[in-house]
Amino acid sequence: MNRLIRSARPWWRQALLLSALTLAACSGLDTRQDACPMPQGHDLEAAFETARAGMQNGCETRFDDYLSHLLTIAEGDPQPENRRRFSEFLVWASDEGLLSRRQAKSLYNRYFNVKFVSMMGDYDNCSSTCPNKTTLLSRLEQELADKELGLLRISADKEAYYRADHLFKETELVLEATCSACAAGR
Amino acid sequence: MNPRQYTIKVRTYPAPSRRQRVGQAAACLLAAATLASLDASGAATGPSIRLFPTTVLEDIRQTGHVAKEMETNLQDIIGRLDRQQQLYRESKCEGAESDPGCARIAKQLGATYLEMLNVMEAQLPEMERAVNNTYASLEKRLRQELGQKMTPWTLQETLLGNGQGTPDVTRPSLRGHSGMRLSDRFRQYYRLVSHPGSNSNHSLAVIASDIYLDMQEASGLIARTREEISRATLMEQLNQSFGLITPEMQEVVAGVKSILFGEATAGAPIAGPPPVSQEPGDYSPLKL
Repeated sequence: MNRLIRSARPWWRQALLLSALTLAACSGLDTRQDACPMPQGHDLEAAFETARAGMQNGCETRFDDYLSHLLTIAEGDPQPENRRRFSEFLVWASDEGLLSRRQAKSLYNRYFNVKFVSMMGDYDNCSSTCPNKTTLLSRLEQELADKELGLLRISADKEAYYRADHLFKETELVLEATCSACAAGR
Repeated sequence: MNPRQYTIKVRTYPAPSRRQRVGQAAACLLAAATLASLDASGAATGPSIRLFPTTVLEDIRQTGHVAKEMETNLQDIIGRLDRQQQLYRESKCEGAESDPGCARIAKQLGATYLEMLNVMEAQLPEMERAVNNTYASLEKRLRQELGQKMTPWTLQETLLGNGQGTPDVTRPSLRGHSGMRLSDRFRQYYRLVSHPGSNSNHSLAVIASDIYLDMQEASGLIARTREEISRATLMEQLNQSFGLITPEMQEVVAGVKSILFGEATAGAPIAGPPPVSQEPGDYSPLKL
């Protein structure tokens, strides 16, 4: 490579050098990815161990990928106990400083609780919720899909998912009425 | 009259959807009639959010009173229409409209139909006022109690109820999801609020929203029906000179009848989920 660069014309030299540097950077990225192996197989406990080990060894920035893999693996063996396993994993991640407590709570409740974290807010409905009703409903719908994964397909808790689905529909109805009433009062 | 003339005659009618409004208005009014029997004490029992204070209940009672009167009058007319229609069928008049006997029955049917329109026309203005009052008072309560006093989070907790674990099987089916007629839905409301202790904040919030949106729809429907009814009456008066029983007429009558006597199949109420057991994996320090 060095001989090639030296024998090339000056403007070619620069181009070749740039390409060589880019290739080097890419290969470095590959190496980093290889250093963060994602959990494989069907054993959820082993998958959690792999994820913990990976994040303790410099792969903490890949938290989302690890979580996504863990959710997929858990889906292969749905049981109520899985909810506790994810809770422990998120508490651990929070204790390790990989996530804030708030983020850990948000993630846990997004997947494994009937309540919708998208409904968090400190201001009254007329002034804060109603002007963004469409966006909120769209977020709730997305969260319901995550609850389907967490509650139904991972925790095998049909009743909880049913309640979440019902809550979503009731919220839709009550917000329609409330926001209509708020608008009339302006 | 031969079939071709009959078809042409039908085409001169207003669009079926417009004619159906007459029946729909009757549905609204009769639904409101069932409100008359709402037990005030039942509806007002114990909610810490005050969605059904005395003023709202008074408006509902007034609406119900007006609608009840209309229901009684319509019930008698509908009964007569039913008998006349049966006679028409049993006399094998379909396809034999030119027969003098059949023409007479058809004319009587048309006259009774006209009577039904007149009853509605006479009572609609008062009905409209009552519905609008109920609508306005509920609107105020919803705005104050759910809109201004609650955050989205507290609203969610209210809807979910305390403890999250005991789903309310008596909760009414949701509007827009049940495909249920107004009167059936209000009958469900009645069942809910007439059993002291069965209602709670979360079901009341849903009921209040449901009634409010129904009243909003009813108010618009009554206004449109009032505009339409004089036109329908005129058409029926014209029809009297030909003695026709039109499909639209039969449709309206059937609609009103099904509401009065509950003949139509109501949408099945949403089943309550099975009792929830506390699973071993249910505990989490992260749970909100």
